[in-house]
Amino acid sequence: MAIKKLLFASLLICSMIQSSHGATKERLFTDLEKGSLEITATPSRTGEGVVLAAGIDKLSITWKVSSTATKEPEFKTIKVKLCYAPVSQVDRPWRKTHNELFKDKSCPHKISSFSYDPTVKTAQSFDYTLERDIPTGTYYVRAYAVDAIDHEVAFGQSTNEAKTTNLFSVQAISGRHKSLDIASVCFSVFSVVALVVFFVNEKRKAKIEQSK
Amino acid sequence: MGDSIGDTGSSMHGVSTDKTGKYDLPVDLEDRATVFKLFSFAKPHMRTFHLSWISFSTCFVSTFAAAPLVPIIRENLNLTKQDVGNAGVASVSGSIFSRLVMGAVCDLLGPRYGCAFLVMLSAPTVFSMSFVSGAAGFITVRFMIGFCLATFVSCQYWMSTMFTSKIIGLVNGTAAGWGNMGGGITQLLMPVVYEIIRRCGATAFTAWRIAFFVPGWLHIIMGILVLTLGQDLPGGNRNAVEKKGKVVQDKLGKIMWCAVSNYRTWIFVLLYGYSMGVELSTDNVIAEYFFDRFHLKLHTAGIIAASFGMANFFARPAGGYASDLAAKYFGMRGRLWALWIIQTAGGLFCVWLGRANTLVTAVVAMILFSLGAQAACGATFAIVPFVSRRALGIISGLTGAGGNFGSGLTQLIFFSTSRFTTEQGLTWMGVMIVACTLPVTLCHFPQWGSMFLPPSTVTTEQYYVSEWSEEEKEKNMHLGSLAFAKDAESEGGRRAQSTIIV
Repeated sequence: MAIKKLLFASLLICSMIQSSHGATKERLFTDLEKGSLEITATPSRTGEGVVLAAGIDKLSITWKVSSTATKEPEFKTIKVKLCYAPVSQVDRPWRKTHNELFKDKSCPHKISSFSYDPTVKTAQSFDYTLERDIPTGTYYVRAYAVDAIDHEVAFGQSTNEAKTTNLFSVQAISGRHKSLDIASVCFSVFSVVALVVFFVNEKRKAKIEQSK
Repeated sequence: MGDSIGDTGSSMHGVSTDKTGKYDLPVDLEDRATVFKLFSFAKPHMRTFHLSWISFSTCFVSTFAAAPLVPIIRENLNLTKQDVGNAGVASVSGSIFSRLVMGAVCDLLGPRYGCAFLVMLSAPTVFSMSFVSGAAGFITVRFMIGFCLATFVSCQYWMSTMFTSKIIGLVNGTAAGWGNMGGGITQLLMPVVYEIIRRCGATAFTAWRIAFFVPGWLHIIMGILVLTLGQDLPGGNRNAVEKKGKVVQDKLGKIMWCAVSNYRTWIFVLLYGYSMGVELSTDNVIAEYFFDRFHLKLHTAGIIAASFGMANFFARPAGGYASDLAAKYFGMRGRLWALWIIQTAGGLFCVWLGRANTLVTAVVAMILFSLGAQAACGATFAIVPFVSRRALGIISGLTGAGGNFGSGLTQLIFFSTSRFTTEQGLTWMGVMIVACTLPVTLCHFPQWGSMFLPPSTVTTEQYYVSEWSEEEKEKNMHLGSLAFAKDAESEGGRRAQSTIIV
């Protein structure tokens, strides 16, 4: 009886898992049209060895559709993302680049997403303040052009194909706060002191008992 | 009262024979309950049970609290894969040492202080997650938090003083199983707490630090409850009982020798490394495995990871119960066979898990593997209390430490290098489980026999009293062992039970 219930429960769990499978498969990055979008990202502070501060520094992002773009009529939305440079992917398989788009984890941070206006032919730009949950690392910017059924069709990036030029470094916030540190110390001290007080008290009571 | 065979004679000084009215539950010669009443909180037996398993569970919650939050933590602290893996090994390594120490503490000071001290002194380690700013700090703090898993030893020791041998398998299995569940609860609890804190306005990299305050507070609360509501022995607290002359202070060196020179101790240390050890390793790798191999969403993988740990709710008690059932008909020999069968089956299911290519087979294999491994843990601790009476604490500590050592070793060999893929690692881990379970065939109790050999003419009393020297017997230090031996007669199986006169 118990075995039957167990098997049924596991069957139920399995079917739920099947239905929560990830996104569509097998659309490849190499199928996308390269260089359709020309995009540049200029940090608010530049120079040799400058590291941008998350939550404070900005990127000025300028983009336009390249004259070589052939799939332009399909563009419906432009999605701009912050992507990891190869040096930030070393020893970190959760940031790995995959050719299959649904598996690719190299561009997890959304910068902006807006609808594509085909009537505007000139370069457009906007500012982006680095979010406070951006981790420490080296980055570049990539924009995907997405069609009406939410499939990527083309892309452009602010670095070269080997991802070695125009990279910028970001330093994450530490996440620590003085108030948190103080609260932490207070509770720790309370724990130790409470223990000592109880212990000493009980020893004293036992001594009194014994001397009776 | 207390007539006995052989050289023991006279009264059972300090051991109550009063079975009427004093306690809520019926008790044996050592005041240990003979019945397990799950939904009662009556003093002292059931109250101890609940205090014990909840504080042990709290320690599991805090030790594995980092695991479901690793995707956030690794970005805040800029961790590499090796850092995350090393932190996992560190989290189970701390308690190798602390479980050994806890065994001695229980033997000398009693389980109540042991539990309370550990739980309240490890609260600061949990709170110190707010200070961590890099890999080194993270690994160090996980290592220090891991020390509190030694509450396992105080939990099992405490159960052995409160409940009688016939039901010890079920009681120990339930207490430890529900404690281990903390490893599953935390995979659901911490992400929820983190999400709530984030919605209240904190940024991701601060929210996870605040989330750690929840296990920290649980430590403080449980420590205070154990100190105020708990007691060491059915007759009262150890201090009071000792000073009344009822329990005699023993020497650490003697107890250690008793534990270490008994070869059975080492057999169970190895076995537990491959039942509990593989359970802990799997807790650390299984979510990631399902996420990567079968392309599940993170929260789905998390639910699977949680259910592996939560199976402990019934799997470990079931193992203890199976052992008790086998003992009822076949005595200790039945317990040994039950353990071997259950643990080997778990190992074979682990091999199947590694070789499963579809999601459905993998989940079924994982569930069966979890049942096998966790029931084997329950069955192991149904036997450990019988290896020695004098050194119960230290042997429990050594066995518990063996579990953690097995976990660290398995994670190092199979899951921290690129030599094996995770599925290959799981397959080889299964093979290792089957191989390391074979030594249980060598465990022989002269009074009860072993898997393949019948008992010799040594009596139960002779086995337990032989742990004491002549001078110690003259001081009547062995009387606790004597009372224990009387109750343990039932491990001779049905034949033995019919000759017991109580």
